[in-house]
Amino acid sequence: MLSIRDLHAQIGVRKILKGVNLEVKPGEVHAIMGPNGSGKSTLASVLAGRAGYEVTKGTAHYLGDDLLALEPEERARRGVFLAFQYPVEIPGVNNAYLLKAALNAVRKQRGLPDLDAFEFLALIKDKMKLMQMDESFLSRGVNEGFSGGEKKRNEILQMSVLEPTLALLDETDSGLDIDALRVVATGVNSLRSPERAIVMVTHYQRLLDYIEPDFVHVLSDGRILRTGDKSLALELEKRGYDWVKQEASAA
Amino acid sequence: MGDKCGAHTFPYMEIRNPSAVVEHEATTSKIADDQLFYCRSRGVSEEDAVNMIVNGFCKVVFKELPMEFAVEAQNLLAVSLEGSVG
Repeated sequence: MLSIRDLHAQIGVRKILKGVNLEVKPGEVHAIMGPNGSGKSTLASVLAGRAGYEVTKGTAHYLGDDLLALEPEERARRGVFLAFQYPVEIPGVNNAYLLKAALNAVRKQRGLPDLDAFEFLALIKDKMKLMQMDESFLSRGVNEGFSGGEKKRNEILQMSVLEPTLALLDETDSGLDIDALRVVATGVNSLRSPERAIVMVTHYQRLLDYIEPDFVHVLSDGRILRTGDKSLALELEKRGYDWVKQEASAA
Repeated sequence: MGDKCGAHTFPYMEIRNPSAVVEHEATTSKIADDQLFYCRSRGVSEEDAVNMIVNGFCKVVFKELPMEFAVEAQNLLAVSLEGSVG
């Protein structure tokens, strides 16, 4: 579904990704871990199409298409979803309004008719229950005045409404208390399916207790140094990242 | 008006108060970039996103205006904003 080959990317003159290779198949859950500044968030941003990153080498194909050639909205309509590390506030723009526009854009691409206000409301209220969100959320501005935890929950709510094919979660667990983490994990787990893939960027093993990955990758200095299963995350928790770097440089 | 004209703004501020804190709109426009990407990453086209963000921003301001200004401002806003952000 997603095939990344030798991807190099930089911001200005600063090289961040230095040859990332990653193969993601439908139904798989991948966790990307790594020290601060290793390029985890950059990878997620480049895949979603955020401006300011220059891809200098390599490719990323999604369902056979050149992902990097598509505009961000085009990627979204084809089923790529990025849950932001820092979701932005958009004052005066209603949460439900943006989400309805987003859902209808995705539905159009899938050849489905627009949902009207009633159908949409029924759908979103159902999903909000799952994310334990208050109904007042519907009348508020996009992320306006939300706490850190509410913003992250909102990201997962949007994801569960848009039902993406490829979900990229950028440090969705950071800044969450245990209860909020559980709610977010429930939301993500409810989306696991044989035709959907999830790539999670995270610092902490804790998230992986709740959302069990099929693969764990260690990204360090812009390259994936090691790939393993869930046990690799546990080992990282115990031993840190240095040994991975040492073994990689010795090899 | 034709395709050979354009509107350009040259921000310039003269401040004669040593304790004033003044910023150019560049800070707001950076926020707008993030907001724009957020909307686009949800599948909303760039033009629709610009309309949405500007309308939202203005709605917050319009709430503070007296009725007669608010109506006029709303009409002004309805003028197309196509290609006006960059």
